[in-house]
Amino acid sequence: MLPRRSLLKGLGVGSVAMLAGGCGSTDPAAEAGEGPNYVLLFDQTKCVGCGRCEDACNQANNLPEGVARLTLERQSDRVPGAVCPRCGKTECNCDRKYVRVSCQQCDNAPCVMVCPTGAAYRDEKTGIVTMDGDKCAGCKYCIAACPYKVRFINSETKVAENCDFCLQSRLAKGELPACVSQCKFDALVFGDASDPKSYVARLLAVKNTARVKPHLGTEPSVHYIPIAKPEV
Amino acid sequence: MNGIDFSTGLGDAIAWPWPIAVYLFFAGISGGALAIALLMRIYKKQTQDTPLLKAAGVVSFVTICLGMLCLVLDLSNPLFFWKILLYYNLNSVMSLGVIVLLFYIPLTAVIAAIALRGELARFPQLKPLMPWLERLAAMRSPLEWLTLVLAVSVCAYTGFLISALIRFPIINTSLLPALFIVSGLSAGAAMAKMVAVKWFGESLHSEEMTLLHGAEWPIMAVEAMFLFMLFSGLIFGTGPSQAATQAFSQGGWSSLFWGGVIGLGFVLPLMLNFALGQKFAHSGRAFYLTGGSVICGMMCLRLFLLYAGQIYTI
Ligand code: SF4
Ligand code: SF4
Repeated sequence: MLPRRSLLKGLGVGSVAMLAGGCGSTDPAAEAGEGPNYVLLFDQTKCVGCGRCEDACNQANNLPEGVARLTLERQSDRVPGAVCPRCGKTECNCDRKYVRVSCQQCDNAPCVMVCPTGAAYRDEKTGIVTMDGDKCAGCKYCIAACPYKVRFINSETKVAENCDFCLQSRLAKGELPACVSQCKFDALVFGDASDPKSYVARLLAVKNTARVKPHLGTEPSVHYIPIAKPEV
Repeated sequence: MNGIDFSTGLGDAIAWPWPIAVYLFFAGISGGALAIALLMRIYKKQTQDTPLLKAAGVVSFVTICLGMLCLVLDLSNPLFFWKILLYYNLNSVMSLGVIVLLFYIPLTAVIAAIALRGELARFPQLKPLMPWLERLAAMRSPLEWLTLVLAVSVCAYTGFLISALIRFPIINTSLLPALFIVSGLSAGAAMAKMVAVKWFGESLHSEEMTLLHGAEWPIMAVEAMFLFMLFSGLIFGTGPSQAATQAFSQGGWSSLFWGGVIGLGFVLPLMLNFALGQKFAHSGRAFYLTGGSVICGMMCLRLFLLYAGQIYTI
């Protein structure tokens, strides 16, 4: 919080300096390879949709009623009315599966690009896309720009938000993101993919993983282990 | 694709609702009206303060202020507007637009005040301002050139603003700024013309009006061509673009497009001027009806692009 306050004081100077400097500085990820590359791996084969991650996130990040930084979308490949290949019934829960819906932590983040005030920014040290709520004007440009529809206005503070891997609430204290620490089924793995010895890097190396809409060129940092359909 | 995706999101489906369309509309009228009047002035080497220039000055200042009001009221908290004025991100189209508007808005006021200084001098309260206005009037020509550039930039910027949204195939096209410039010019010209005739005593058939009238049809033809290019770009695009062509054929937004954008913006003006006979086409009624329908057509275009654009996503 402190550096922001002093920024507020140095406003005039700051904005002039940014104007003069051409401000290409919002995207340090351009110099990729340096620094950590935090990723989140969501294992669809393990997630049972219990929702502990959602609750943990709301609590850790003090979210007001009615908004969330992450949610689970329940999906099904079943043809409605057809018999389940696994249990033989027409009504069952066999093939339910969940997809984690949250900020994909793009390396090329459209939200950071369009934000007129720099409130949506990439943290220099960790490369994580996060928010400086004090700067957010509530213009909703980032919400329109995010291809994953995972930004929202916090109904209490009236500023935009996204999942930032708990950067501001827990990571700074050396703790894991709240959702990861609360998942009882090991469906979430968080870590630095640029460290080849990390668990997440080893998983990424051996598992079949996928990302959402990779063709958009946003380079998301959230990876998924999808349930492979038996009939494929 | 690799089979992993989600369709639910965490925010509202429509991030930018109708006030933004109204803002795009006002900004287009403002930039278009002033650009047309200044082009006319430069083209005809005018030195006097014509009714068209006075009208365009008033129109562009009033509309851009109303537009700003829409923009501010649409913020999640209107009291946050100062943050946009203090913090800048030069990668952001919106931030660049703020910088343009910061110069454009006062300049529209100056241009209008110079053109109207005869009228303003009648108010005794404004006496102290007059020497300043005279001084500004001495630098008129460079100020007008600068304003002309900024006016066109304002029209273009509203297009860039929404074309930067990569997930919407209908609006994520480099055509949009060009389309917004021409539609801004035609609607802005219509508005300035009507105000000039109604309040500044311009005659319906003056040389300027005839010239503008002649320029209108080519501008509209270019606009129609851009719309067609937008459409064909979608048809020949990839899957999601093709799917988005539904916006032109199904549901309420397609009626807005065909009835509002095409009907009011193109068909009705053509009918009023060519189908109902020379005599009617030259009447005052045809003049106001045509202007009104062109302006409504432009509003419908902004609404259609913003809503249909945000509904059809990648
Ligand atoms: S997923 Fe959306 S909010 Fe998250 S970094 Fe990408 S563009 Fe920004
Ligand atoms: S809503 Fe806030 S964070 Fe989003 S673009 Fe506007 S100022 Fe930036």
